[in-house]
Amino acid sequence: MLEIKNLHASIAGKEILKGLNLTVHEGEVHAIMGPNGAGKSTLSNVLTGHPAYTVTAGEVFFRGKNLLTMSPEERAREGMFLSFQYPVEIPGVSMVNFMRTAVNEKRKHEGKPALSATDFLKLMREKKALVGMDNRLTKRSVNEGFSGGEKKRNEIFQMAMLEPCLSILDETDSGLDIDALRIVAEGVNALKTPHTASIVITHYQRLLDYIVPDFVHVLADGKIVRTGGKELALELEDKGYAFLNEKP
Amino acid sequence: MLNEIILHPGEHREIILLNEPDTNWHIIQEANSTLLLYVIALPHPNDEVQWHTAITVEHKATGCKTEMYGLALLHSQQQHHLTTRVLHNVGGGYSSQLFKFVLDDESKASFKGELKIMPDAQQVEAYQTNRNILLSRQAEMTTEPQLEIYADDVKASHGATTGQLDDSALFYMQQRCISRETARKLLLCAFFEDVLRTLPNEQMQEDIVEKINEYIG
Repeated sequence: MLEIKNLHASIAGKEILKGLNLTVHEGEVHAIMGPNGAGKSTLSNVLTGHPAYTVTAGEVFFRGKNLLTMSPEERAREGMFLSFQYPVEIPGVSMVNFMRTAVNEKRKHEGKPALSATDFLKLMREKKALVGMDNRLTKRSVNEGFSGGEKKRNEIFQMAMLEPCLSILDETDSGLDIDALRIVAEGVNALKTPHTASIVITHYQRLLDYIVPDFVHVLADGKIVRTGGKELALELEDKGYAFLNEKP
Repeated sequence: MLNEIILHPGEHREIILLNEPDTNWHIIQEANSTLLLYVIALPHPNDEVQWHTAITVEHKATGCKTEMYGLALLHSQQQHHLTTRVLHNVGGGYSSQLFKFVLDDESKASFKGELKIMPDAQQVEAYQTNRNILLSRQAEMTTEPQLEIYADDVKASHGATTGQLDDSALFYMQQRCISRETARKLLLCAFFEDVLRTLPNEQMQEDIVEKINEYIG
């Protein structure tokens, strides 16, 4: 589904990703862990096409297509979804209007007709129930005045509405208490199918108790330096990232 | 052209100036009269059109209420210069002003707002807000709020900001499948929303939103 080859990327002239390789297949959950400043958030920004980042070398294929020539909205319509570390507040744009526009843009891309008002509201109701999203929140402007936990849950709600094939969860656990974390993780697990994949970016192991990865990668200084199974996350929790500095 | 109007005691008047060329209004309010006034400048086929609008409102007796709103979306070399003067001569009055400008290309606009509360005008409430968005580096906005308050028992405030469309909101919407153009439309309509929702005429609200969408699209 996703193939990243020798990816180099920089922001404001500073190189952050320095030859990153990663392949994700359908049905897989990949965790990316690593110390602060390793390039974890840069990776999610580069994959989704954030304009502040420049790809200086390498290739990325998403569902067989060259990802790097696509606009951010084309990547999203092809099925790439980012759960933002810091979801943005958009005063004056209602959740309903925002979601209806998003869902119908995606449907148009897939050659499907726009949803009628009734069908759209029915879909909203279903997905709200699935992720435990409060009715009160979908009546407001996008993320406006939401608590940290409510914003993260809103990300998962949007993910449920858009049914992406690849979800990137960027530090979805930051700012969540353990109950909120569990609810968000349950939402993510409920949306998992044999044809979807996830990349879970996290600094801590605790989210991985709830979203169990097939692979754990350690990102350090812009490269993946180690890959293992879910036990690697426990080892990192136990020993920290100190081994990165040890000379072999 | 000077328009002089007297609002008689208890009278309610709505004035909507929509793409009006140069106008100068002097409105005198008698006791308990209410004024609702709009200054609206929407995309216009003449790329070099210039609007100069001056509005003076005077509260002559107690219990007057004035609400003024404005929105402008200018492009090319268009200019819109708005001056308001609100004079609270007597106590117990209320005035609020909310003006929002969006400037594209090399357009220019200014807002000069004079708010005067005379020594005998106690227990007046007076608010003035001016918010602006520049869509291009060449666009220019000048804001000059001018408050003169001579009474001591009043509530008054003013605020002015000029900024750009929020890039992080644009990217967030693009990441949710929404094209950059549609995202810009949504943000501009959101910016004008607090003016639009006060319009007494729903058809007019819709027409204005359509004009904004047509321009961005």
